[in-house]
Amino acid sequence: MSITIFSFVVVVLFFLIIIESVRRGVLETRDSILWIIMSIVLGILSLSEGLLEYLADLLGVHYAPSLLFLVGLLGVLIMIFDLTRRISKLNHKLTNITQEYAIFKEETLDEIEQLRDEIAQIRKKEEE
Amino acid sequence: MLSNSLPKTLIIVPAYNEEDSIASTLTTLMRIREKISTVDVCVINDGSKDRTVEIASQFDIVLLDLPQNLGIGGAVQTGYKYADKHGYDIAIQFDADGQHNADDLRELIQPIINNEADMVIGSRFLEKTQYKGSSARRLGIYYFYLILKFLTGQRFTDPTSGFRAKNAKVIKLFAENYPKDYPEPEVLILLHKKGLRIKEITAHMNARQGGVSSINSWKSIYYMAKVTLSIVMQKIIKE
Repeated sequence: MSITIFSFVVVVLFFLIIIESVRRGVLETRDSILWIIMSIVLGILSLSEGLLEYLADLLGVHYAPSLLFLVGLLGVLIMIFDLTRRISKLNHKLTNITQEYAIFKEETLDEIEQLRDEIAQIRKKEEE
Repeated sequence: MLSNSLPKTLIIVPAYNEEDSIASTLTTLMRIREKISTVDVCVINDGSKDRTVEIASQFDIVLLDLPQNLGIGGAVQTGYKYADKHGYDIAIQFDADGQHNADDLRELIQPIINNEADMVIGSRFLEKTQYKGSSARRLGIYYFYLILKFLTGQRFTDPTSGFRAKNAKVIKLFAENYPKDYPEPEVLILLHKKGLRIKEITAHMNARQGGVSSINSWKSIYYMAKVTLSIVMQKIIKE
């Protein structure tokens, strides 16, 4: 089996996993877009040797398959950067929630204590 | 000045694993609270794994108990959010490890009461005080002094001092936006960009009573590089 077919099969399998993940709700649709675009680009490039040769020639790359590595690597870099941005955003949200929770808890406990005191006073009065 | 005309003040004490020193720090602060009734003390437990909460809850304080460790920036910001929500006029950050001196509190808030500054920093190096840090630490602080002078044009003799008082305007700003990583020096840039007034006064600090400083000596060069990057980032960050 030539490397061309092998890599294409891998890409197709990968594509199917992405679609299936979205369908099952494991992967959110908006998160899947970058992955789908990348797998389509890799699929096209791995299948049509002509296109790859043409692009490699255009960019002055002597060994065409190394262009495939370059595209894959750039895709991975973009992906990781996107992930880091998302983590920062999530971190920010988590900080916010943690802070709000602590303040809310303090205020609620205060109120509960006040209510307890009031109830105790009412009971006392009733007993009298 | 009569005590009832004093501004509502919140002393924010961030605490992370401070069981050794929190009790004595809070005892000191409670004495101030007895004298000046408009002062409240707020301890923020930053997910401590020791008896910090247990000890702190025996005092008459506001205890904000974070379920997760957020780091110093996130913990202190919780205090500003609380202060902003409950309409405090002044907020003071006070370290739980006993470094800060409660006798300086009045002088620290005086420029804010007189409306001379939006934030007041208690500096160890403005005048000669008893405080003697290691020469490496002093060198580091001098390095930050130079960077901040270059970036803001103002002289901050003690840019890493956490002993600071802020007015309501700054409290509101911090409740919305507070630097997470190295808040002390970064805040100076933030306030400078907003055109707020910062003033330094002399503060007397003690050697640490317990706990571990967030600055480990062997990591100091790495620390300096990270802080420098954070300061420069804060300068170029978009609001």
